[in-house]
Amino acid sequence: MVASAPPVLALRNICRDFFDGRQLRRVLQSTNLNIYAGELTILAGPSGSGKTTLLSIMGTVLRPSEGRIILKGRDITDVSDEQAATLRLQEYGFVFQQPLLIEGLTTQENVLLALGIQGGRVSPECRHRSVEILTSLGLGDALHLQPRLLSGGQKQRVSIARALIKNPSLILCDEPTSSLDAENGQLVMEILKGIAVQENRVVVVVSHDARVFPFGDRLIKLENGQVVSDTRGEPVPPSES
Amino acid sequence: MRSLVAWRLLLHDRSSTAGVLLGVVAIVFLVGQQLSIYFGLLNYMSVLVDHSGADVWVMSSRVTNVDAGGLVSVRYWDRLVGLPEVAWVEPILIGTGLFRKPDGGFEQVRVVGVRQPRLAGGPWAFFQGDSRALLDVENITVDRLDLEKFGQPPLGSLTEINAQRVRVGAINEGARGFQGTLVFGSLEKVKEIAGTPPGRYSALLVKFAPGVDHTQALQRLQALLPNLTVMSTAELSRLTRNYYVTNTGIGGSFGFSTSVAVLVGVIIIMLTMYASVLNRERDFAVMRALGARRRDILVLVISQALIVSLLGLLVGFFLLALFLNVVRGSTIPSFMPLVVPPLHAGVTVLCSLLGSLLAVRQALKAEPASVFH
Repeated sequence: MVASAPPVLALRNICRDFFDGRQLRRVLQSTNLNIYAGELTILAGPSGSGKTTLLSIMGTVLRPSEGRIILKGRDITDVSDEQAATLRLQEYGFVFQQPLLIEGLTTQENVLLALGIQGGRVSPECRHRSVEILTSLGLGDALHLQPRLLSGGQKQRVSIARALIKNPSLILCDEPTSSLDAENGQLVMEILKGIAVQENRVVVVVSHDARVFPFGDRLIKLENGQVVSDTRGEPVPPSES
Repeated sequence: MRSLVAWRLLLHDRSSTAGVLLGVVAIVFLVGQQLSIYFGLLNYMSVLVDHSGADVWVMSSRVTNVDAGGLVSVRYWDRLVGLPEVAWVEPILIGTGLFRKPDGGFEQVRVVGVRQPRLAGGPWAFFQGDSRALLDVENITVDRLDLEKFGQPPLGSLTEINAQRVRVGAINEGARGFQGTLVFGSLEKVKEIAGTPPGRYSALLVKFAPGVDHTQALQRLQALLPNLTVMSTAELSRLTRNYYVTNTGIGGSFGFSTSVAVLVGVIIIMLTMYASVLNRERDFAVMRALGARRRDILVLVISQALIVSLLGLLVGFFLLALFLNVVRGSTIPSFMPLVVPPLHAGVTVLCSLLGSLLAVRQALKAEPASVFH
């Protein structure tokens, strides 16, 4: 199944090195991937396989040591820190392993923070949209609650709402179910699947939990910093870089 | 949105907010009360000059402060009073003496002799009685706040200064000296007390006629009396204050204590804000991952510092106002020139910003990648 639409995100010969205090260690080998909208992509692999590093590079929070990142046809590899932040604001939504909500802000304010973090007033339309999103995620009664009063599952749904409020092209999720029980984990994955398929967005989920694999449209496995299998089976020639 | 987040975080992190607030209040109050006492003492130093009502003081040559002049001959009075620029010239005589208290003890005083009927250089505000008391050559006036030192002599009571009979004719207010307790009397009485040779005074006070250019008139007087100090009242006041500030160690003492208060406040602000940012480091990383630029984090932390400093200014100035109200009219010198509070507020805000620098530095270190495990 090869998509006819161009990839939203393309990685070309992406490598990443880390200095461990004594020597430079390559944690991500040369990786080529095309990521498409409308499907839920799962990055799987054992701990230390490089999946979170790959996700961080996709999300522009980490720079690759080598290779190029192309977002919607634009090479964003060498953008400045400021430009990368603005890209994250405009194009990306994140769901972290822990919900990482800001204590002191209400549920709704946590969601709106993703819009107003670069300053300026949040419009009434955006406020209305935040209510709609939170309500659709079953949090209509929790708009004005502090995060500490929410359950783990509710918090994670708030973090999904925080990712959705920006109407992003890509939603990157790092182990979104690892801190949840089975029931809440399944609920979160169903929501993410819906976002990918029904809203035609890129959703990439990093997970080593086999229970989430059935939700994926595409499963990419990494080991020792290398892609070892990809259910899409799409060859990406290195010469494209 | 950033200001709202800054405010919400401050409300949530109550203990650290209270710590920073304490630092700001410490700066506002401690520095404020030090400054008020300092300015109160400055007023004491030049109190006679500032309330003389004269435009110019003529004193002996090379005067460094109002209390350290030699005697001036009365013949200069004759030369000055005939000038068209001059409205009046009044002599003033300042000496020292020992005031005999009702219990038989003594109190050292500075006696200030002024001439009737104008009484220039004399007391300007009264608690009991009025300036007419000094029309009686035997009468003296003492300050309300010095009554206890004098053993609470009743109005009209007789006593001695330097074995010269005097009567407490009125109780004045606001005339407390830096160098000694001030007692006002008639020129004749003070001559007796101080044993001054005839025809000699401590200074001649000159008032210019209305419409006269003070600068030109002052220059003319200086040219006319080259062997004397001819100085405007404002200049003599400044010179006197400078003399005491630099020669008594009072400037260094207050400068040091004020600096310590500022330093303590800045350190409290710095450590508390730093600890607060450390606790919020993960949140700043989340914000960075969500799309906050470094400058957005900077704005957030600076907004927090500004909000707390404004709150601290409110609380600190309220406490300072209470302090000034309590000490007003007491033996504790206090005075707050109108120009000081805005300057003080500005410096306090700067201190808060300075205190937040360490926190800003830490907050800017938050890496968005750290939110991925």
